[in-house]
Amino acid sequence: MRLSPRHVRTRLTLWYVGVLSGVLALYIAATLLLFQVFLRRQLDDSLRAEFERVEDLIEVAPDGTIAMGGHGNDDEPGPLLEVWSTDGKRLYRSEGSELGGPAPGIPTEWSLSSAVLSDGTRVRVLARSLRVGDRAVIVRIALSEEPSRHEWRELLLGLLFALPVAVAIAGLGGYWLVRRALRPLDHMARHAERLSADNLGERLPIDNPDDELGQLARVFNLSFARIEESFGQLRRFTADASHELRTPLTAIRAVGEVALQGQQDPQRYRDAIGSMLEEVDRLSRLVGSLLVLSRADAGPALGRQQTALLGLVRESVALLEILADEKGQRIDVKGDADVFAAVDGLILRQALINLIDNAIQYSPHGASIRVDVRRSAAREAVIEVADEGPGIPEADRSRVFERFYRLDKARSRQQGGAGLGLSIALWAVQAHGGRIEVWSEEGKGSAFRILLPEESVGGAPALGG
Amino acid sequence: MHILVVEDEVKVAQALKEGLEREAYEVSVAASGEEGYYLLDAASFDLVILDLMLPGRGGLEILATLRGRDRGIPVLILTARDAVQDRVVGLDTGADDYLVKPFAFPELLARIRALLRRGRVELPMRLSVGDLEMDVDGRRVTRSGRVLELTSREFKLLEYLLRNRGRVVSREMLARDVWQETTRATPLDNVIDVHIARLRRKVDDGFAAKLIQTVRGVGFIVNEASA
Repeated sequence: MRLSPRHVRTRLTLWYVGVLSGVLALYIAATLLLFQVFLRRQLDDSLRAEFERVEDLIEVAPDGTIAMGGHGNDDEPGPLLEVWSTDGKRLYRSEGSELGGPAPGIPTEWSLSSAVLSDGTRVRVLARSLRVGDRAVIVRIALSEEPSRHEWRELLLGLLFALPVAVAIAGLGGYWLVRRALRPLDHMARHAERLSADNLGERLPIDNPDDELGQLARVFNLSFARIEESFGQLRRFTADASHELRTPLTAIRAVGEVALQGQQDPQRYRDAIGSMLEEVDRLSRLVGSLLVLSRADAGPALGRQQTALLGLVRESVALLEILADEKGQRIDVKGDADVFAAVDGLILRQALINLIDNAIQYSPHGASIRVDVRRSAAREAVIEVADEGPGIPEADRSRVFERFYRLDKARSRQQGGAGLGLSIALWAVQAHGGRIEVWSEEGKGSAFRILLPEESVGGAPALGG
Repeated sequence: MHILVVEDEVKVAQALKEGLEREAYEVSVAASGEEGYYLLDAASFDLVILDLMLPGRGGLEILATLRGRDRGIPVLILTARDAVQDRVVGLDTGADDYLVKPFAFPELLARIRALLRRGRVELPMRLSVGDLEMDVDGRRVTRSGRVLELTSREFKLLEYLLRNRGRVVSREMLARDVWQETTRATPLDNVIDVHIARLRRKVDDGFAAKLIQTVRGVGFIVNEASA
């Protein structure tokens, strides 16, 4: 027999049957024991009754022998009866087997014991001293235990036969119940097995949402939904990535092939090669960004240090200010210089640069961009970058952080990046345990709000690092 | 100057050989770790360019053995993996510098020059090209005797271009050496382009000889150029 059966239902049934058998065995043992005690007490009571009957019948003959009045003339074999003198001589013995054994000592009270006769019969013996006339004698009465032993054995046999039957019935019933209860699980397992990229949309039916199985099914369905969602994202990402990679490749190939058509003057060749190199550059940067993100997926190691966020913001703005200047825009930085956070400056800066660059790109000529550092009521550190761009339509707001997602599909790759900027920004913030909130009003502008959790905020500036 | 290139990718090895030979270096190419090992024993080199991902004996292994013999040859490693960990391992094993593939050729040249002149650095404080003159200490730039008003960033940019006079400077080099940025993000490229455009306006506007030129797809160069 296997120690651990494959199916839960078999295991459950076996456990159930095992426990039930144990309990029943204990029950049977207790019953038999009680019955035995009961039978013996009954026998002992009969012995006492017998003694009281015999007591009156014992007579002392004038020659000193003992006689039994009225005894021995009924047909049924009565109890064995012996009368002994106190000095160990047998004075009287009824017909039938000898009780045997040594001369009894002088019993003080009711003395009860068990004995085996020479022919193998088990008997229960009562001994008691008795005064007959002026003589003290000892009376021994024995009754066979066989009838009660027989009764006891019959009960034992009956119980032993009933036990396996009861266990078998309970086992079958239990197995049926367990199977019935687990059937929805089977169903779920089969469904999960069937699940593949092609039928991710399928869900488990929920019969009763409140019982354990219903909850399990609900949890399963939630997982399925998440898997479907990430599958979708992955699928979009792969499609977008191959598109983004293919575009420069196509350009390189076309420019190279056209340049090789016929003879060209050296300047044309230079232009062609230069143009190809530009595309190569774009490819390299794209691959670089993807590497950053894939490493981010693996969970980056942060070199955190207490940093004044306003300083980090000013640094990023100083770097990009010239781009705003080109478009006649103004970047207003204001905020609380005392907002510190334990951050990896290099990584958080990537988020800031991408958000600010985004704001510059999407705001019209002459607009102003607001960057604000403060601490929220919930004691989070907040960096807000607000632009005066066209705003983000409601439907797109959740998707702007997706890799390669471009709001303005017509916008050329020349102007924007590959559509990875916000993904990188989001990663950089999430790596710090923070989040980015988007506020937007179409036609008025958008604001991206970096929120860093309290545990990374405050505290004394760390030394060194 | 004799350079050993250990690189298994034939096209890359060939391009490196041609490019370096054009710069008047003598170049030997080893296509595998074993070959590189053999060549290092057979001849003496002034510099080794080592690909880290090699069939057979890996680049790091060669590097470790080479350093075990305590030879002071400068080693520049090339790696396709730019994870910080990989760089650290390379530098710890004894490399003098590293470049991440794909790299810009002008940058490779700059690194090679830096490694070869190691120990004897002398930075001139007066730079010039054509009629453009820069006094680095005095923070003064003149063209044809007329003083140019440059922002400090523009000054640093021009200084870098002048120090690499006649050689192409890539955007990567500018990002790293002038802006001190470790990652080259798209916004930074735009920032560099705008600065170059403004610098060019200040330096070249009104002059027939355009000193700052764009080499398409590669970078920028300052030259005593044709009109």
